[in-house]
Amino acid sequence: MLDSSKLMHIVIATPLYPPDIAEPAPYTKELARRLSKHHRITIITYGEYPEMIPGVTIVAIPKRHALPIRLTRLSIALIRHARHADVLYLNNGASVELPAAVVSLMVPIPLIIHTSDARANIASTKGLRGMVARFVQRRARHMFSFPPMPRPEILPFEQRPEEALARYERWWHTQITEVERILTYV
Amino acid sequence: MSDIRLAQWQKERERECKNLSSILLKLGFGLEEDQPHILGERYVMRALTTESGNKLILIGRRKRDNLRVVIKAASDPAGGRELTHERVCRAALDNLVFAYQTFATPQELLFTQQDGYTISVQEFIEQSSTFLARPLPEQFALALGGFKAQESAHATTRAHLRRAARIFGVRDAAYYLNTFDTFTRSIEKAAPSDRQRTVLLKRTRALLAEHRHTISQYTGFLTHTDFVPHNFRVRNGCLYLLDHSSLRFGNKYESWARFANFMELYNPPLVRALEQYVKDNRTPEETFSFTLMRLYRLGELLAYYAGTLQKCDGDLYKLNTVRITFWTKVLNAALENRPPSVDTLVAYQTTRDALRSTEEKYRQLGLH
Repeated sequence: MLDSSKLMHIVIATPLYPPDIAEPAPYTKELARRLSKHHRITIITYGEYPEMIPGVTIVAIPKRHALPIRLTRLSIALIRHARHADVLYLNNGASVELPAAVVSLMVPIPLIIHTSDARANIASTKGLRGMVARFVQRRARHMFSFPPMPRPEILPFEQRPEEALARYERWWHTQITEVERILTYV
Repeated sequence: MSDIRLAQWQKERERECKNLSSILLKLGFGLEEDQPHILGERYVMRALTTESGNKLILIGRRKRDNLRVVIKAASDPAGGRELTHERVCRAALDNLVFAYQTFATPQELLFTQQDGYTISVQEFIEQSSTFLARPLPEQFALALGGFKAQESAHATTRAHLRRAARIFGVRDAAYYLNTFDTFTRSIEKAAPSDRQRTVLLKRTRALLAEHRHTISQYTGFLTHTDFVPHNFRVRNGCLYLLDHSSLRFGNKYESWARFANFMELYNPPLVRALEQYVKDNRTPEETFSFTLMRLYRLGELLAYYAGTLQKCDGDLYKLNTVRITFWTKVLNAALENRPPSVDTLVAYQTTRDALRSTEEKYRQLGLH
């Protein structure tokens, strides 16, 4: 059992990360930013120029390569970093589930899966993608789904949404508490 | 405009309209008597970085039901290619698998090539008021909605980029830097010499080069390179895009930049609202990318007006040199991270209104 009150090295693997705009991109960045206050965070993702977070290592595999090359490179990056990490946190999506499946066979690291991407969930119910998703899910210590809450927009000509922002902060507090709890028990 | 050029332009306009009238009649359409979009400075307008040729924008009616329509027609091959490209972009936009939202577009009623003309007929989008006549919060909401619709199409994978490149064209940091160099050369060649302007352009170029990473970071997004009120209309709260030929995959803030530079002249509080929105809701990198793109597009504006100088004379020539001076001041202000002064704006607007032709003033009515 891991003790999350100690500094942990968490590797977050995600198919999407800012400047990608669709979820779980903004969720992942905010999660990493908040977790990095108490833990060492490495993000493994796809992209050319990921938005940086002070103190967080980000490894981005360019998407311009052909699919087999992208998957291979991400797998290698995952193995390299997961080897020295305490937990592998995975946002669902075929482009990270397959590499995570490979890593789970080679590196004895607890795996947590966050199944927040509804489109990826639907896509991974059948065929080869479904097989890979089920394989990875069987190897996970914990799976959970926390549909991301978008940050309320501050709009000119409207009152600052203090209540919505407070609700957003409370949501994140709950989110981080839950993640820390999961980290304690994996 | 000198008498000779004016007479030439009027003659060409009349000939084209006469030719088109008879073709359109056979196709079931008629032209309205009032044709504001072929008047004034329209004849010198030519985009710099998108496919652009001579074309006419005409207002007409479908004979069978009197439906008001917009007719785009070109006998010039480049104009014809522009219309064809626009059609391809419209169709591709509907089929973008990596877009989360789409734009509303006027229904295409006819596309044909006949008797040496390429003709596109689309429904006319009636609107209750012009964009600038709407309340400021509504203008902001409409603009933001338009930008978000563009950003929702983000080409990231190899397959996305191949498709985007084939149909729309892709702009990366190298493209922006290279075209900025082209702008600078055009300006220095065609515009009256101005040492301060040369220094400002060099500073801008250096800043763009130093921060090419930030430019690259936000490329791959669908961006309308001419997102200004005369290229969209609003009906029932919905924004309809009129010009699809200016869609590219590039830096997402290029569209914002074109719009903001335009509004710096027409509605500065709207620009302040957009700037504040980006600052409050986006990352510092995005805020800076917005600034970089504004600087880039100011370079393009200067090159655009420099390019018109050889095509005009008289008051229009004087006006376009005044425009170059004005936009140089705006560039200076942007480099200092401040809006242009009210005095600068008022002085330019006063001179512009004095030098603008009556025809152009009429063309401008209801345009924005």
